[in-house]
Amino acid sequence: MAAKWIEALTGSLEQKKQYRQAQARIKALPEPYSTAANAFNRYFMVYGGVTDGDTIVQMVLDSADLWERAAVDRTSVSDIVGEDPVDFAETFAQAYVGKQWIDKERARLLAAVDEAKRSEGQ
Amino acid sequence: MGNQMTEMLKGTLEGIVLTVLTARSAYGYEITAQLRERGFSDLVEGTVYALLVRVEQKGLVDVEKVPSEKGPPRKVYSLNAQGRRQRDEFWGTWNALSERIERLHSDVDLTHDKGE
Repeated sequence: MAAKWIEALTGSLEQKKQYRQAQARIKALPEPYSTAANAFNRYFMVYGGVTDGDTIVQMVLDSADLWERAAVDRTSVSDIVGEDPVDFAETFAQAYVGKQWIDKERARLLAAVDEAKRSEGQ
Repeated sequence: MGNQMTEMLKGTLEGIVLTVLTARSAYGYEITAQLRERGFSDLVEGTVYALLVRVEQKGLVDVEKVPSEKGPPRKVYSLNAQGRRQRDEFWGTWNALSERIERLHSDVDLTHDKGE
């Protein structure tokens, strides 16, 4: 399901190819890395609110790098995610400051507050 | 790691990592290992990795992909001019903050705390 909306969002064929390759790398990981990586990717997509293809592709590629590295080095899943997997996922996703739906809302909030301040000054 | 420690580290980890990179370039695990040696014993690799992604996106480090014997190439991070400025700003802010907190601590005599 995620793959379908991602295709609607990502623009170029090249992006789609890169995205699929990253997903294939994650699928090919040994367990338990594959399960963990998949779970995080799902969360990144939902939490990140990222809507531009370049950023999504970069995020998934970096995630594939991270988990492949962990699998090769045999770093345990808990050494990667720590005690708070949600915090890890959110810190990771926040690094990708692409165009997010929240940006529009932030701009709207700032404009509204500016407006409120202006009327205060009168 | 206690919750308070985790919360406090969160705001300072960027400055800490940029400082570690002052001495020499390093890849993610080397940075984590160095910090663990210096007493940040419960630091998890993923936290540092997520931070490195952020400083890369912010343009504070240069990244070189170095082939490794197994697996994908390792990303080696080095501090650039913008990162140095950010690091110096971090230390300026840190010193000002810790001085203020220390002053508060010594001004308020906790031994006379009569609270419950």
